[in-house]
Amino acid sequence: MILKTSPEVCGMGHSMKRKEDLRFIQGKGNYVDDIHLPGMVYGQLVRSPYAHARIKSVNTENAKKLPGVLAVITGEDLAKANLAWMPTLSYDKQMVLATGKVLFQSQEVAFVVAEDRYTAADASELVEVEYEELPVLVDPKKAMDPDAPVLREDREQKNNHIFHWEVGDRKATEDVFQKAPVKASVHAFFPRCHPAPLETCGCVADFNAATGKLTVYMTSQAPHAHRTVFALVGGIPEQNIRVISPDIGGGFGNKVPVYPGYVCAIVASLTLSVPVKWIETRSENLQSTGFARDYHMTAEIAADRDGKMQALRVKTLADHGAFNAAAQPTKFPAGLFSICTGSYDYSQAFCEVDGVYTNKAPGGIAYRCSFRVTEAAYLIERVVDVLALELKMDPAELRRRNFIPSSKFPYKSCLGWTYDSGNYEAAMKLALDKIGYAELRKEQAEKREKGELMGIGISSFTEIVGAGPAHTFDILGIKMFDSCEIRIHPTGKAIARMGTKSQGQGHETTYAQIVAQELGIPANDVTVEEGDTDTAPYGLGTYASRSTPTSGAATAIAARRIREKAKKIAAFLLECSENDLEWEPGKFYVKGAPSKAKTIQEIAFAAYTNMPPGMEPGLEAVDYYDPPNLTFPFGTYVCVVDIDNGTGEVKVRRFVAVDDCGNIINPMIVEGQIHGGLTEGLAIAFMQQIDYDESGNVQGGSFQDYLLPTAVETPHWETDKTCTPSPHHPFGAKGVGESPNVGSPAAFVNAVVDAVAHLGVKHIDMPIAPWKLWQILKEKGVAA
Amino acid sequence: MGQKIEKTFSVKEPLDRVWDFLSDPRKVVTCVPGAQITEQLDDKNYKGTISVKVGPSVTDYRGEVQIARLDAQNHEIEILGKGQDVRGRGSASMKMSGKLRALPDGGTDVTSVSEINVVGILAQMGGRIITEVSNIMFAEFTKRFQERLQQSSEAPPETAEVEPIKAGSLAWEAAKGVFRGKS
Repeated sequence: MILKTSPEVCGMGHSMKRKEDLRFIQGKGNYVDDIHLPGMVYGQLVRSPYAHARIKSVNTENAKKLPGVLAVITGEDLAKANLAWMPTLSYDKQMVLATGKVLFQSQEVAFVVAEDRYTAADASELVEVEYEELPVLVDPKKAMDPDAPVLREDREQKNNHIFHWEVGDRKATEDVFQKAPVKASVHAFFPRCHPAPLETCGCVADFNAATGKLTVYMTSQAPHAHRTVFALVGGIPEQNIRVISPDIGGGFGNKVPVYPGYVCAIVASLTLSVPVKWIETRSENLQSTGFARDYHMTAEIAADRDGKMQALRVKTLADHGAFNAAAQPTKFPAGLFSICTGSYDYSQAFCEVDGVYTNKAPGGIAYRCSFRVTEAAYLIERVVDVLALELKMDPAELRRRNFIPSSKFPYKSCLGWTYDSGNYEAAMKLALDKIGYAELRKEQAEKREKGELMGIGISSFTEIVGAGPAHTFDILGIKMFDSCEIRIHPTGKAIARMGTKSQGQGHETTYAQIVAQELGIPANDVTVEEGDTDTAPYGLGTYASRSTPTSGAATAIAARRIREKAKKIAAFLLECSENDLEWEPGKFYVKGAPSKAKTIQEIAFAAYTNMPPGMEPGLEAVDYYDPPNLTFPFGTYVCVVDIDNGTGEVKVRRFVAVDDCGNIINPMIVEGQIHGGLTEGLAIAFMQQIDYDESGNVQGGSFQDYLLPTAVETPHWETDKTCTPSPHHPFGAKGVGESPNVGSPAAFVNAVVDAVAHLGVKHIDMPIAPWKLWQILKEKGVAA
Repeated sequence: MGQKIEKTFSVKEPLDRVWDFLSDPRKVVTCVPGAQITEQLDDKNYKGTISVKVGPSVTDYRGEVQIARLDAQNHEIEILGKGQDVRGRGSASMKMSGKLRALPDGGTDVTSVSEINVVGILAQMGGRIITEVSNIMFAEFTKRFQERLQQSSEAPPETAEVEPIKAGSLAWEAAKGVFRGKS
């Protein structure tokens, strides 16, 4: 239980209004495109119209002749500086600007620099590229054919296979399957989707030839990691690189990778010694930057007739596009997909994933997701419903019979994870009670009699977030710790800096509340600063719901170190022994004599003006936090849908989301995060897909085809919570930002399938657009 | 992005005269909005250009046209066209089969089946836009075909109109088509 501080202090548990919103709602945020430097020029990428083609020639003469054009950089130019390729986050390499051939539509081919944005755009149309079209591979299954054209001629391996990864005991799992009386299986495709942050990617690269310093203002979720990558790849001394991530308009994993545009802008600034701005258009963002998912999955469950699940088998084909630019920890080519046993107590499981190259944009980023957890949660929650159909058992009851019991935590899963804490049955019970589950089932039966279609979908997901412990987790070798540095000023106000970077999550508020909780300094007196590598301590950034589990923990620990020193100062000021002091948020007092007290503000002043003899002045601390384990948030979502059998349109009547993310810092922010993630989940389930035609043309490369949910489509979300603190996190928090995106797609799809299950439908792939559902209804003879 | 478009229309002129016109690419091309024959390679092969503007996006295809089949007996023709955008923004290929049939009233029925494959920026606009653009182009083609046939006793104009298809209105017409749910 977290001690609640006064509203003035506003520590954990207070729904403090977001400090950052004051500038955002006035339009005074400072995003990359708001940055204007003297002498700044503009870059524009020339992109490939073909998904697979050999480049026969690139003619830049006409572009260079256009007045205002300063430079045109091609792949061949970069090759001379050994920069035509760059490493990806998955130990593959990726072309910065194409040489030899292009491998996906919209691939970067040349970079035009001009005095203004319009000239750069005009000049990009004057770059003449001659292509020879090559056969295109868009189907990952075909990419695995022995006679498929080899896309990556640069590799020694002459096929399109990237990796095979497996976990679990194949043989033991097979044995269980052979004897099992009941089996259920599903083939589920999680379509390629895109985070589509409101702000696209971009940067201003500013190389100062006089000082030798390169400053890069960029849309980066991981500024320190990007600085190190630039130092290693570009050979620039790291102290001469400063990465600044100003306000970021949404990231969702899309702003984790290094993109060719950043590198080109840096090269151009180094070459021209002027600041170079590069900002993506919406279509460039959708077509060329990190996509998510694109997993072709099969799951099978072996069970007994009472519905006790005995074994799980998962086989997946992962479409990674032209380069393996998946953003995930080194040891996990399929991310944390092996969380696919979910909330259930399996004795055996086996999971295998094969990654392949196709002629599509590279990526495989964790879209509001802790590295493939979304795919895993969707798959297990889908196949459990299929098993319920098989057994003719209520899907809630089937889940209840198989949950990992709360008495078994910490729980070691058969695929190797140690779940920190959980109480799955309590979360499901609350969700079912809140929605009135039994009544809804009755209503459904009555409606079926009348030929009306209504469905109830449940998703009892478990997440795995907060990467991660240094013994297992690194990205490009850098361990996945994170950090916080706190300085208390003489007047008792504070500044705290972290290695993470908010993209809208409200860090400026929540981290301040942690400091307030630990030190009793009002959250309003704590400035939180992130995103400047020259000032913030090193960290791996914000994604995978890791900020609270890592930097949040570091903040508490740094604050506690400050409190230790404060205690020594208080003892000196009160002329007593440290052992005689008691702490309550904001002050130390003498045991039994509460009036003999020193406030944290008084102590801070003394740290600079009247410190104990021999004590180092000042009051500050830094912590680099290496989490002992990941955290495992969970919840149950229940969705009720009504289907119009004339149009195939799905209406979400109700949606109850019960989340358990352990102890909560700011309930209002948590609720906001859940609303946002559920809305994204709704869009993924019903509206969005980055699809490709057989020639590799992107279908979904603009908001005309890639639909964003608006207030019109979004139903009313009903949220609630249970609280099962993480036993290893300093204040028992778990992370929540991604749970709603991870847990909700299965709830939506399960609800739709539930509405038509009596017609013999056991699965429908996302996105469930009205036309798709209507075709099924027509086929089943129930379309009006 | 592959599209198959079938169209039929009839003209008042007799079959032989229509056939004379249809089997001469230099004449037919004057009916295609934005198109031009730039060079005749032999009796079956030509070089040409076509300019298509959809909204802000102009695509100038430069390529070759080949008469793959010419059956005077049955009045059937098959034309293959293939071109790349001069600014390297994509390519398009087309196979068009035309067939004439004499009508009892002395006129002629023209049936055409076109298979169009577009790669690149234009193809991203999606099937609904491509189909709409094709429909508009075909409507314009039909109109011009009838006009040219009527005046074909006179010598056909040496240089055709090579104005790109009326761009702004074309995008608008296509958009209207989408909103009307027309395909």
